[in-house]
Amino acid sequence: MEAIRAEGLTKRYGATLALADLDLAVAPGEVYGYLGPNGAGKTTTIRLLLGLHRPTGGGARLFGIDAWRDPVAAHRHVAYVAGEPFLWPSLTSAETFELLARVRGSEDRAYRDGLVERFRVDPDKKVRALSKGNRQKVQLVAAFASRADLLILDEPTAGLDPLMEVAFRETVREAKERGQTIFLSSHILSEVEAVCDRVGILRDGRLVDEGTLAQLRHLSAHTIDVTFSGPAPRLPALPGVAVAAAGESALRLEVGGELRPVLAALAELPVVALTSREPSLEEIFLHHYDASDGRLGG
Amino acid sequence: MGASAADLVRPPAPERARRARADGSAAALAIGRRAFADGRVRTLSFALLFAFIAYVNVSGYEHSFPTVQDRLSFVRSFGNDASVRLFYGQPYDLLHVGGYVAWRVGGTGALFAAAWGLLAAVRALRTEEDAGRWELLLTGIVRRRDGYLAVLGAIGAGWLVLWLGLWIGCLGGGLAAGGSAYFALAALTPALVFAGIGALASQLAPSRRVALELGMAALAALFVLRVVADTSSGAGWLRWLTPLGWAESARAFADPRPAVLLLPLAVTAALLWAAGRIALRRDVGGGLLRSHDRRPPRTALLGSPTAQALRGERGSLIGWLAGVGSFAFVIGVISTTFQTVRLSESIRRELARFGANILTPSGILGFYFLFFILAISLFACAQVAAARREEAGQQLETLLALPVGRRRWLAGRLAIALGGAVVLALLAALLAWAGARSQGAHVSLPDMLGAGANCLPAAVLFLGFSALAFAAWPRATTGIAYGLVSVAFVWQLFGSALGAPTWLLGASPFHHVGLVPAQDFKALPAAIMLALAAAALAAALALFARRDLTGE
Repeated sequence: MEAIRAEGLTKRYGATLALADLDLAVAPGEVYGYLGPNGAGKTTTIRLLLGLHRPTGGGARLFGIDAWRDPVAAHRHVAYVAGEPFLWPSLTSAETFELLARVRGSEDRAYRDGLVERFRVDPDKKVRALSKGNRQKVQLVAAFASRADLLILDEPTAGLDPLMEVAFRETVREAKERGQTIFLSSHILSEVEAVCDRVGILRDGRLVDEGTLAQLRHLSAHTIDVTFSGPAPRLPALPGVAVAAAGESALRLEVGGELRPVLAALAELPVVALTSREPSLEEIFLHHYDASDGRLGG
Repeated sequence: MGASAADLVRPPAPERARRARADGSAAALAIGRRAFADGRVRTLSFALLFAFIAYVNVSGYEHSFPTVQDRLSFVRSFGNDASVRLFYGQPYDLLHVGGYVAWRVGGTGALFAAAWGLLAAVRALRTEEDAGRWELLLTGIVRRRDGYLAVLGAIGAGWLVLWLGLWIGCLGGGLAAGGSAYFALAALTPALVFAGIGALASQLAPSRRVALELGMAALAALFVLRVVADTSSGAGWLRWLTPLGWAESARAFADPRPAVLLLPLAVTAALLWAAGRIALRRDVGGGLLRSHDRRPPRTALLGSPTAQALRGERGSLIGWLAGVGSFAFVIGVISTTFQTVRLSESIRRELARFGANILTPSGILGFYFLFFILAISLFACAQVAAARREEAGQQLETLLALPVGRRRWLAGRLAIALGGAVVLALLAALLAWAGARSQGAHVSLPDMLGAGANCLPAAVLFLGFSALAFAAWPRATTGIAYGLVSVAFVWQLFGSALGAPTWLLGASPFHHVGLVPAQDFKALPAAIMLALAAAALAAALALFARRDLTGE
């Protein structure tokens, strides 16, 4: 049974279509990166997954339990880190942990103490006196200490410094080793690239691409830089290949499909150097958001 | 933007400075406009309230007291009665409509005005800063001093709207323009002084909540001073120590003493000056009083969302208990003062409108328990407003992502409101009884407990309406809740003076409450109110379970 399964999940707010017909399946133990710029529908998706907002169409199940109809049962498997770390201003961090743990009914106390140490949380400080990043850390500690089966994290590292970002990645890896599932909404691509098994890319409320990083890369353009012994020759037109000059005797090829015809064409030419590079997640991401730029087309 | 083009042709230095000043004042003007627009709903509501109450009392006077005999009798009874003075203050001339209105409207109006001034100042000067918006504005080209003055200007403009409302209400009823203008000025001076108190509290307190608490404490203390001055013999000089007393001592329509008004004006100026000095010197975002941001964990009342809600409401509950309790005791103590007074027929009629036989302590208590119904209904509104704040602040999202059912959460919140209402009603009954007994009045405890319990059906009905508003129109919750209670209460108090038909008066739940212990408990209306309340509460729970959570 999937940790998360959404089928045809759709949400309208008045005339605005916030999420269109989302199909999503996240297996237990998987770390799923949910990418999209601001306003793409990431938080809407999460609110639907948690049954906080009511789907206009379709539905979502967490471990087989309908998130809207039976949220309490579904939430027994879930820990959530909200995108905006609004907590109770008059409670201290320690009191916040206590409240969340008691209401949830389970907590790994020893692990929590370790996380408090790792994230350098001051347990006796009131939430109202904490900066945004520090409040975010309180949420993260509470969520990971719960040892919930599924962690739903909405841009959890916004406001964290690089040291805490490292601590976060370490904690995600520990959770993964324990078999916990993580749904990580983010627009920090390096983070997703570092910790996620699978990635979904959301654009204007639609899932436009999904797969492992290797799959996404496979489907996207490779960049090949070719240097020739003399002036760069003209290449024959090849489908799915964009050619740009890169100096007097070099070309940069963006290859959208199979590499074989490109290599065949190059084999005839006086090539002195050739480097091939997989697209970074950033390029894949920008590719989906920069439709006007034909360079990476398709 | 076009700014780069402007940069290319830099004007000479003096020109630049002049332009920056001009832009700065435009920006200050924008800040002032924003602050005014932010408070416009509150300001307009208060202005309408003032206009309505003034109009109703002016036009009701001739109707209620047609003859000189009636008026004399009214002076001897009401004018000398401590429990009436407690609310309305010292009357100076009840034989003419102007003096009557100045007393009847001015006394309570001063309290409303004070509340308005406090809320307006704290909202503009502390809430905005707490939210980080003030910091944002000050990083622009506006100097702090200009920003502060712009906000004061906005509060001043709001005050003018109130003044216009009260003035027009008086004119509409047929009072003279000049006298009305002076009366409106005098009655609304507490708004100015309390804007000053609110401004100062906003500089001292590290948060909105503390600023409001400081301001409310000041208001309570100054009100008590006014009450003591007006109800105890030989204590009249205390009137000079409170802005609520200054408003009275201006003696509008009776024996005007405009020089008295220099006192509130001078005090306001001093308060605003002091607040301004602090505002220009302190760190933005903090207050002069240190906030205590560290403490060892206190883990009581963290076991469930309801327990944690109770924990969050503890302070406010204690405030309500203290306020209602002390008010009840005072009412009990002064309930004995009427017994010796003889009333004319028309005054009996006037009182009979409220169903009160004011010659007996239980008559007085029955009448004043109408105000406890109001207070407990407002408490219920405040509880629903707190639930809404938890949703708007997105703490609720965090709670409901835990294994917590929505119905369970809301039911817990409503249970706190219900429980609080019951405790408040019993406390009011007990302390009013104790107060009356301390003066040797013959009031039985079971009767008073009945009076307390009698407050509950209407209060629970308003709780149901508020909860329904929360479930159906979350963003409008607070306005609908307080609005319904206030309109219903004002309508009950003054609607009859307008000669409104019975069915229209009956639209207010307050109209259907028996004034226990003076009157019998009205079982049928109470049962209907409770049934309506139960339906509203059930509908609220069902609707809330089906809607999206809604932020600010």
